[in-house]
Amino acid sequence: MIAGIRSEWLKLRTTAVPWVLTGIALIIDALLTLVYFINHGDGGGGGNGGGGGSFGLPDYPHTTQQLRNLLGSGFEGYLFALLLGVMMVTTEFRHKTVTTSFLVTPHRPRFVGAKLITAAILGAVLAVIMLAATLLGGGITLSAQGGSFSALVRQLPAVAPGMILVFALFAILGVGIGSLLTNQVAALIVSLGWFIILEGILVSLVHGAERWVPSGAATAASNLTRGQGTSFGLFSWWQGALLMLAYGLIFAAIGSAVLTRRDIT
Amino acid sequence: MPSAIEVHHLSKQFGPVHAVDDLSFEVAAGRVTGFLGPNGSGKTTTLRMLLGLVSISEGTATFGGRRYVDLEQPFRHVGAVLEATSFHPSRRAEDHLKSVAIGAGIPLSRVGETLDLVGMSDVARRRVGKFSLGMRQRLQLATALLGEPEILILDEPSNGLDPQGIQWLRTFIRHQASLGHAVLVSSHLLAEMEETVDDVVIVSHGRLVLQTTLAELAQRAGTHTGLRIRTPELARLLAILQAIPVAYRQIATDTVVIDGATPEWFGPLAAQHQIVLYELVNEKGSLEEVFLSLTHGFEAADPGQAAAATSGVVQ
Repeated sequence: MIAGIRSEWLKLRTTAVPWVLTGIALIIDALLTLVYFINHGDGGGGGNGGGGGSFGLPDYPHTTQQLRNLLGSGFEGYLFALLLGVMMVTTEFRHKTVTTSFLVTPHRPRFVGAKLITAAILGAVLAVIMLAATLLGGGITLSAQGGSFSALVRQLPAVAPGMILVFALFAILGVGIGSLLTNQVAALIVSLGWFIILEGILVSLVHGAERWVPSGAATAASNLTRGQGTSFGLFSWWQGALLMLAYGLIFAAIGSAVLTRRDIT
Repeated sequence: MPSAIEVHHLSKQFGPVHAVDDLSFEVAAGRVTGFLGPNGSGKTTTLRMLLGLVSISEGTATFGGRRYVDLEQPFRHVGAVLEATSFHPSRRAEDHLKSVAIGAGIPLSRVGETLDLVGMSDVARRRVGKFSLGMRQRLQLATALLGEPEILILDEPSNGLDPQGIQWLRTFIRHQASLGHAVLVSSHLLAEMEETVDDVVIVSHGRLVLQTTLAELAQRAGTHTGLRIRTPELARLLAILQAIPVAYRQIATDTVVIDGATPEWFGPLAAQHQIVLYELVNEKGSLEEVFLSLTHGFEAADPGQAAAATSGVVQ
């Protein structure tokens, strides 16, 4: 299994797509961080109103919650972890590299297993990269506005573990979806369609659905070290994490079973 | 000695289609076995069943008695070059080999060695998307050789290779056999394989037509001799031949072929009847003709006779 994971990791490093997706994720992260500052300056954050300073309060993010929100600017980047997970599997079918992969690992559930673990690592790494970028960009902007860089750093233990966990879970879910839907275009459309459109509709139509859908489970899981956050109506962090993991593993298990029967011609 | 590859009563059904039908053959170590048949005769499906890529409907396909999926480190025993396999276009040749080597538990030193072996060291850092078909084929071969396997399976390996490449491949295949390795190489052209193979397994419509040695097949080709005669007096010659118990067939307005005849037999006959001859040619059937007649004849044959064909005698 270790060999399989190392091989998968090399495969990821040696194609363009993961780098490009990580780059796009970083650009979006930078934009979201910037937007956070702009909104805050406009008085959007904290409800201080346009004249926040007139009450003697700083005009930049300074409360614990504000700093945590700033640090979590890249949270929505979990979609990229999801896409990377999906593409880890579907790229093999798109470029027909799966033939060689199955010759190396003829036991197909093992092939999916190596991808699941590698995806989890990849998701975690992506989260770390995005956190580091936000910390750097956000911290510098904060300092320039007279805020405290170290205050931001002190919020890392509250934000980072949850975000890393969520990114890893989304990457696992991606591999699950990809192993079930090996057609790359179909898998990407279904993944994005669900998280961008369908999930929202479902949550608005079905009362109490928000805690069961993957995004809700992931948001719950992100509270890992935040204590009780804004998780009203959601599961506790470990319940959410287990639910997310279950989604990923169930898809992967069904995908493995289907793949095992599949003829690679 | 146990056979390197054993295929027993192998069948594959794709829906209503019998792609492979009760196929049995063996491949010996130290020999090159040609797996021959027209396109669509089930060769690729058979090879993919051997390698665990396509599920088996019935029968077994094993390496030294074990299925591919049950081999401890399959890449160290079996190397395969298959059609319709590809590479990620943005990955460099060397990185492709590294990812396979790592996954298969093969030391990375083999990457450079195999690149050298197929003559691709200078393009190791190039992205595979820029490779020609021939280069991809070589890279596939390098991939198959990473684990120094004692069994090689090559599906139409000369596709995309230039004449030098084909010559190189032949030498390479013979060398592998000389090392005691078993080589199973498929082709739809016997002519392409004539100089390379020791044994032949001929299939048509998913069924075995014949498994034999190339030498025996050549002998069979030898028995197909006839004498081709071109004469302006064909009508008179045919009248004479009708009176003699020989089989003949007219193949042109002025040409006839007499089965099994020799110039030594026909010369005196022609002299006796004072027949003018323009041409007198000893006709030897080529291997390719035997191959075609075997595979075509089999198509027309009653499927019920398939079992009889495995005995090595086909009408």
